[in-house]
Amino acid sequence: MKITIVGVGALGSHLVQFLRNLDAEIKVIDFDRIEQKNVMSQFHAKNVVGKLKAQALQQSMSFLFGTKLTAIGNKLTSDNVRELLAGSDLVIDCLDNAESRRVIHKFVKAEDIPCLHGALAADGNFGVVAWDDFVIDDTVTGAATCEDGEHLPFIGLAATCLARAAQEFVASGARHGYRITPRGVIGT
Amino acid sequence: MEAHEARLNVTWNRQAGDLPDPIPFDARDEDILQWATEAIQGGSIPGITADPNVDLQGFHVEKFEAVEGRAFHSVVVRPKTPFG
Repeated sequence: MKITIVGVGALGSHLVQFLRNLDAEIKVIDFDRIEQKNVMSQFHAKNVVGKLKAQALQQSMSFLFGTKLTAIGNKLTSDNVRELLAGSDLVIDCLDNAESRRVIHKFVKAEDIPCLHGALAADGNFGVVAWDDFVIDDTVTGAATCEDGEHLPFIGLAATCLARAAQEFVASGARHGYRITPRGVIGT
Repeated sequence: MEAHEARLNVTWNRQAGDLPDPIPFDARDEDILQWATEAIQGGSIPGITADPNVDLQGFHVEKFEAVEGRAFHSVVVRPKTPFG
């Protein structure tokens, strides 16, 4: 099973650590670099501030758990989407960029590749884990309020649901989704 | 709850709760948003503090049929989720 995770910020970075026991080859894609504020809410440590998120996560997972990842530090675009996603058995979209989400959505639909989407509200208090019923919301200008660390437990909960959905898919092919509210989780 | 009815869950202002009464599963999105707005204004959703200034413009309405582990239809009114 080859799993490609696009975006390893708030949701994606925590997702990777929750998938470390999965029998799968995992590739992570992210062109962004770690900023000091990310340390408050993402699975990136202080000592890797300034590094590419994908490469830093690859090193952290190897150092902490002995988990091997393939890391790609490029931005996913319509020009390289085939190169980056072809051959994947499952794509997991954890982006905060509507344009790139649409590129993924179009490609996986055309290639019939299963795709799981993870998304958070701007105030860090609602989460979506969805398959085909995912609605892409346009990118919001300004920083996500979840970057101040206040919503770390909620981000962790959403990442756990995302990991659980991926685990269920790998185990049985089931495509379960979740909606994570401030008061609980709704299975869809 | 009747087979044609659903439980309405609303998230607003970092709070969430279910409307006490079921709604028709095939209700129009506009009606669902109006019911949710009035319920929040009136403080009738347990878990959500009454808010006379509630504005659900731009919120999504999602409908989920009953599944294993959830024996009733579910309708969710939720904010946009542009981040990841």
